[in-house]
Amino acid sequence: MANKSVSKKAGTNKSFIDRMGGQQFIVLIIVIVMFIFFSAMSPGFRKYTTVVSILDYSYYIALMAIGVTFPLLTGGVDLSIGTGLICYSLIGGLLVRQHGMPVAVGMLVTILIGLIFGVINGCLVALMDLPPFLATLCTCMITRGFGAFVVGGYGIPWPAAGQEGGWFRSIFKIQMGGQNIPIGFLWIILLVVIMSFVLNHTKMGRYTRAIGSNKEATRLSGVNVKFYHVMAYVICGLFAGLAAIAYSAIFATVQPGSGAGFEMDAIGGAIVGGVSMSGAVGNVTGTLIGVFVICLLKTGLPFIGLTANWQQIITGFVLIIAVLIDIFKRKKESGQ
Amino acid sequence: MESIKQNPLVKKVGFNRIVLCIVLLLMYGLFCALTGGDFFGARRILSALNYAYFLGFLSLAVTFVIATGGIDFSIGPVMFCCALMAGFCFTMYGMPMPAALLISLVVGLAFGIFNGYLVAYWDVPSFITSMASMNIAKGLASVFTKTQSVSWPQSTQEGGWFRKLVTIEDIPMGLIILLAIAVICAIVLNQTKMGRYILSLGSNKEAVRLSGVNVKKWEMSAYIVCGLLVGIAAIFFVGAYSTVQPGYGDQYNNEAIAGCVMGGTSMAGGLASISGTIIGVFIISLLQEGIMALGLDKNLQLIITGIIVIVAVFADVVARRRKN
Amino acid sequence: MGEVILTMKGIDKSFPGVHALDHVDLEVRKGEVHALMGENGAGKSTLMKVLTGIYKKDSGTITYEGKEVEFHNTREAQDAGVVIVHQELNMLGHLTVAQNIFIGREFKKGIRIDDKKMNEEARKLFDRMHIDIDPTETMSKLTVGKQQMCEIAKAISHEAKVIIFDEPSAALTEAEIEELFKIIRDLRAQGMGIVYISHRMDEIKVITDRVTVMRDGSYVGTLITKDCTKDDIINMMVGRVIYEDPKTKNMTPPGAPVVLKVDHLNAGKMVQDVSFELHKGEVLGFSGLMGAGRTETMRALFGADPIDSGDIYVNGQKVTIKSPQDAVKHGIGYLSEDRKRYGIVVQKSVAENTTMADLDEFSNGPFINKKKEKEVAEKFVDSLATKTPSVDQLVVNLSGGNQQKVVIAKWLTRNCDILIFDEPTRGIDVGAKNEIYKLMNQLAAEGKAIIMVSSEMTEILRMSDRIVVMCEGKKTGELDISEATQENIMNMATREIS
Repeated sequence: MANKSVSKKAGTNKSFIDRMGGQQFIVLIIVIVMFIFFSAMSPGFRKYTTVVSILDYSYYIALMAIGVTFPLLTGGVDLSIGTGLICYSLIGGLLVRQHGMPVAVGMLVTILIGLIFGVINGCLVALMDLPPFLATLCTCMITRGFGAFVVGGYGIPWPAAGQEGGWFRSIFKIQMGGQNIPIGFLWIILLVVIMSFVLNHTKMGRYTRAIGSNKEATRLSGVNVKFYHVMAYVICGLFAGLAAIAYSAIFATVQPGSGAGFEMDAIGGAIVGGVSMSGAVGNVTGTLIGVFVICLLKTGLPFIGLTANWQQIITGFVLIIAVLIDIFKRKKESGQ
Repeated sequence: MESIKQNPLVKKVGFNRIVLCIVLLLMYGLFCALTGGDFFGARRILSALNYAYFLGFLSLAVTFVIATGGIDFSIGPVMFCCALMAGFCFTMYGMPMPAALLISLVVGLAFGIFNGYLVAYWDVPSFITSMASMNIAKGLASVFTKTQSVSWPQSTQEGGWFRKLVTIEDIPMGLIILLAIAVICAIVLNQTKMGRYILSLGSNKEAVRLSGVNVKKWEMSAYIVCGLLVGIAAIFFVGAYSTVQPGYGDQYNNEAIAGCVMGGTSMAGGLASISGTIIGVFIISLLQEGIMALGLDKNLQLIITGIIVIVAVFADVVARRRKN
Repeated sequence: MGEVILTMKGIDKSFPGVHALDHVDLEVRKGEVHALMGENGAGKSTLMKVLTGIYKKDSGTITYEGKEVEFHNTREAQDAGVVIVHQELNMLGHLTVAQNIFIGREFKKGIRIDDKKMNEEARKLFDRMHIDIDPTETMSKLTVGKQQMCEIAKAISHEAKVIIFDEPSAALTEAEIEELFKIIRDLRAQGMGIVYISHRMDEIKVITDRVTVMRDGSYVGTLITKDCTKDDIINMMVGRVIYEDPKTKNMTPPGAPVVLKVDHLNAGKMVQDVSFELHKGEVLGFSGLMGAGRTETMRALFGADPIDSGDIYVNGQKVTIKSPQDAVKHGIGYLSEDRKRYGIVVQKSVAENTTMADLDEFSNGPFINKKKEKEVAEKFVDSLATKTPSVDQLVVNLSGGNQQKVVIAKWLTRNCDILIFDEPTRGIDVGAKNEIYKLMNQLAAEGKAIIMVSSEMTEILRMSDRIVVMCEGKKTGELDISEATQENIMNMATREIS
């Protein structure tokens, strides 16, 4: 029996594309082709401001996606990040707006609540053995209700640029000579580099992947599986908290009750970038590239005369195609 | 405890469902007491039922998919898509009401076929499929309606007769229809070949395939039933809310799945209870109405529902662990 | 043999309803290979799990290197030098060989895992074992044999003093087993104590120094291997002689028609150009080593896996079988080696499983006739003597033998004339085994045609009228039972392995 399961998993000989990171490399080329295509089709797209707005839009999705890559690698998922980020941002913003706390404290609280929900998810999944899908579905509902409940149903505007405390918006975008400089992108790159290191060169990352590959075998190797399993969700929560800050910094107002569906963009990005829903396969750079496919679709399509609504339809098909490619590749490998 | 569980009557009805019914009654009693009797009247009940109708159909819909071991995350947005496209046909293209209602069913059915085909015949994980069709449903509805919201006619207006499906002068027609369809669903799931195969393949698809059963066909059929029920849900949704906005609907996924799981349907597939689903949905709707009656923040309902589901599933996990 | 390194004395362990270990003793010396034998369910694995801390013992003592010890988990056992190489490979297919070997105790440079050093250390280990495996290769890309070597390397790297091999040869080819034995002899020479769990009598004679036999959770005795015969060991294992004499004569009625003819069947690497005929009322045995392609042939024939080329004739008519549906339509039923995965739906009742393949027969339009279903299920429970409180019982609660009977009932309900039994008695206890054999003979006598894939030589010799032998995906021989001996079957089964 072992024989069969093994041969199914067996990989191809390493081709050039695989050496470059396989699906990641292909998706990177797709991103570039899409960019060139939109630029060629529309003069509006070629503008600097467009690039800035694409980047603006990408930050919170990218941060969520980096985080959710970890639960996905363990073979789980976190569905609470979308409503979660709104919840964290609302609570942080409320402290700043209504209780006069400094923005820095508000930001810290935002991240902290993200962490706490990460711990809760981790405990539900890793310690209480709830199916990840269901556990995070519940925390999705809970964060959605909790955020709206705390602020009493009203939108929360974090301080605007120029207002007191508005400095935090310049974490992601600074004004220089009348131009917006999207420095948030640098933070994202930095975080991707750090999380790639964590994933590929530390115990945390190694065990995250090992749990996704074969949890029982990992446990029998004497690894504290429960701890690392919880930690995958904690990392995800942390990044949802960071995403909450990015969201607050880019958008003028945070609306309670929104956020459902954000997680699908993030998970979709990760999957397009080569992360497998069944765990163990994928990495953070792939996730980032996948997120850009989604963001380019979101922002690019209006420039070629399609309404933003088409983006959702096309995103849907892109997702299916990305997964189908993976399925056919695996079928070919298993020699069928 | 064990002796109660072994009682033949309890065994027949199911221990979980009895517990759920008790929870439901306790909740009702609690709300009656807390609101000083205000909750006792028909008004509140009818209002709670309004919510239960469309959620009930959604929950029934997803029960079929979960029974196969899959998941459908597109039910909420697809319901909105049905309501928007059908309503738009009525208000903007002047279609007669019966045709509009039919369109709602057809759109739901189309999504069911799409999802089912991808999952059953192309082996795309149901999670991804439904994620994709969720996007497609939202986009399609927005494109079709040019991003405008759609208002279905009021009962006095032309075409408003469809509201009689929901209530006729305080007679909760919706409840009758919901229960009737639930009974049909229960018969389909427990008494027919289709139900047998859906549950069996949810439990062990490969063994069923090796018994010479066309598993792809039957797996797809679960998604088709799901789609059809979502189309029905859309009609009852507009019956309760009248106006539908494009771009939304995700929030109802969770509540529908919650109702289903609360009722004892296992996310791992192979185990499903229609009556449980209906009771689960009633609990959620009663909670929603009770919280409103008490003048509390309606968002509490989400939080409490989330916690109830966690507790219910955890109890199940513990029970199974003890068994092994 | 050197001094005693490990002694387990009076080990007792109960699970709810089962007395799994009843005062079992085991003694392992340095530099010996100690076989642990017993039928399925005799308690070998439980004993080893108690030793390595997976289960907690109820009473008894474990003395290791002169001190009484109790390990609380595998990690503690490993650190002390007691390591188990599992029957089911515990590997992480997505990680590299070196990452697998050092999982849980990575070398580190600061917070960074030092993969370079891990690769070097792994290479050193393989050098020591005189085998050639690239430590940076992804685990899932190795053959099963190589994966096993990695497991052993992992065990050695723990500075093990006692290594337990739990059925290590089950998935290996002959050549790989040779290599394994070489390594085991090496380890013995280095003074390690080795516990070797296996069912294969031949291996026990070749590789082990002493044999401890267990039966039904109790200790039966310890023998010195070279002083005892196979029969001695078998007698201790079963307590009574149960193996009937082999069949000596083909029982198929002369002139019985050919019901199934397979002509030059090809399906992937494991099924190459396989041809054979099956007669009415015949039991056709398929023998061969693990991985010979027998199961693959049956799966292809049944439509479970795609066929590349070849023709199949049922009752003289050429048929196309693209899916199990087609096969069942032509009256072929398949009883998989892995019942839980491929045979039964464990969370469904006996009745529901019985009618699974033939639900149309039990339906009025879309509705299932539950009364009829129950009647037929009850009929088969009686005629097959299935032990179940009622037909509403969930199959998960039945024993292996009774589950097998439910699968048989499923195909009989469907009225299949060709039944493929793939390892029909795997995981079934001795008593139930005999019942299954009797049942198969009875079915053949009633005119069913039976293909029986089996890895147990005694089973092949006892049941078959004719025997097809396969090796590495090819048919290497066909024998009538009257001319079959263990030796000539084994000869054919290993023909291509050099």
